[in-house]
Amino acid sequence: MAALIRGLRAGRALRGLGGVAVQGTVSLQCSNVRRGFHRAALLRLASDSKSDTSVPPPSYHEVHTAGESSSSSAQGESSEDAQPNTSFQDQSGEHGEDYETEEQLQARILTAALEFVPQHGWTVEAIAAAAETLGLSSASTGMFNNGAGDLVLHFVAQCNAQLAETLAEQNNQVQLGQAEAKKTAEFLKDAVETRLRMLIPYIDTWPQAMSILLLPHNIPDSLKHLSTMVDDIWYYAGDRSTDVNWYTRRAALTGIYNTTELVMVQDSSPDFEETWAFLDNRIKDVVNMANTAKQVQATGEAVVQGLMGAAITLKNLTGMNQRR
Amino acid sequence: MQRAAKCALRLDLSRAFCLSRSGTVVVMQKSLPPPRDEEEKAMLDSMLRVDHAGEYGANRIYAGQMAVLSRTRTGPLIQYMWDQEKMHLEKFNEILGEHRVRPTLLLPLWNIAGFALGMILTRIACLLAFEGTMSCTVAVEESISEHYNSQIQTLMEAEPERYTELLQVIKEFCDDEKKNRDTGLEHDAESVPGYLLLKTVIQVDCKAAIYILQRI
Repeated sequence: MAALIRGLRAGRALRGLGGVAVQGTVSLQCSNVRRGFHRAALLRLASDSKSDTSVPPPSYHEVHTAGESSSSSAQGESSEDAQPNTSFQDQSGEHGEDYETEEQLQARILTAALEFVPQHGWTVEAIAAAAETLGLSSASTGMFNNGAGDLVLHFVAQCNAQLAETLAEQNNQVQLGQAEAKKTAEFLKDAVETRLRMLIPYIDTWPQAMSILLLPHNIPDSLKHLSTMVDDIWYYAGDRSTDVNWYTRRAALTGIYNTTELVMVQDSSPDFEETWAFLDNRIKDVVNMANTAKQVQATGEAVVQGLMGAAITLKNLTGMNQRR
Repeated sequence: MQRAAKCALRLDLSRAFCLSRSGTVVVMQKSLPPPRDEEEKAMLDSMLRVDHAGEYGANRIYAGQMAVLSRTRTGPLIQYMWDQEKMHLEKFNEILGEHRVRPTLLLPLWNIAGFALGMILTRIACLLAFEGTMSCTVAVEESISEHYNSQIQTLMEAEPERYTELLQVIKEFCDDEKKNRDTGLEHDAESVPGYLLLKTVIQVDCKAAIYILQRI
């Protein structure tokens, strides 16, 4: 079983090298075989299999002839009848789709695992419990190299995608004239609040998740998620700067987000009022700082001009400016 | 007589400038297709980042040159070329904003380095040759046209139909730079004794800069 999964991982790596979009028949058949074996193994090991016992585990021969027919669909979880599926490119959903990629299967398991987080925490047990509710064996947690890290990162990615959708929709409405554009400070506050509210169902176990995200092998991924989120928020706030401001704004918002997250985790006020007040104050601070910086720059420029004027006057007075 | 010739040259150039202005792609439409995967996005990002930083640097180089040459006879010409570079920079600013490309972190450094390069090289050239020489301009424009050419080649090898607007923009800018270089050559830029050395120094500079900018 472990050797099988190792082989699957190697296959996955090879497939990744070849590019996800390649759907050559040969590779498809190979992946069918792999998936067939994978599912067969999982189904056989499932104790309380919710899968249709009428669907036999796909045999090698069946998988090979599965090019046209849909008989090899071993989607025990889906209660719908598998429809004949001739479009191999269709990866949009699970209904009627026979060849779910491994990434989609993993995503489904992790999404289901979120329900078990309050009970088991951000751990492999939550993933195992979810796998069992989906009719797979709890050994399918072997698919996840990173264990709890995969779960947390999946959740973060999901939240960020939701946030991006919400912001895009709001942007659409503003462009269509159905809503008024918010001021930058208010927009930032609302965006960060929306994003942090997604943590509320898991707030009790969130410190554990935060510490998982800080593990060295998770840091690149968590930083990437954080930076894309901050970039999204600023983009929809209307930032189109192409100079150092690009960096300073994102750094400021990252600081605001991280500190507010920390405050939220130990906030016990009703509906996290203290957190939102903290957020408000931080954003006001940043806006004040930006205004002060502008003022300092303007004052500096004025002072420089004054000095230049004084120097030229001096040169004129002493006659140094004349050309002889 | 010289003044009339200069006025005529300026009119010609400004006419060409207007023509190229009207041929510029209108801002509203997106210049790039939405990237279809991470690799393409990374490649386009680094290309645009280098181009943007390049135009920004060219701006600062012209500023440095103007600091030396503003009172000479080539001053107005350099000012005209500088305005053209400013237009290029504006266009790239728009593209970067539209497509959420990260500008390079080294922009403040580029600010100072470009200005220093323009000023120092022009001063050296003026010491070696006649006052108001445009050798620095020609060398810089040559390197930039080479760089744009290689980018055009890359895009054409990848998929010309997909990047038509971007190719149009880059080709236009490349032509502008070549025109500037030719103008500089007309002004006897190559008569500077150390011209080859100057050109090599600038070319090496540009290659190093491009290498760094693609990454940072």
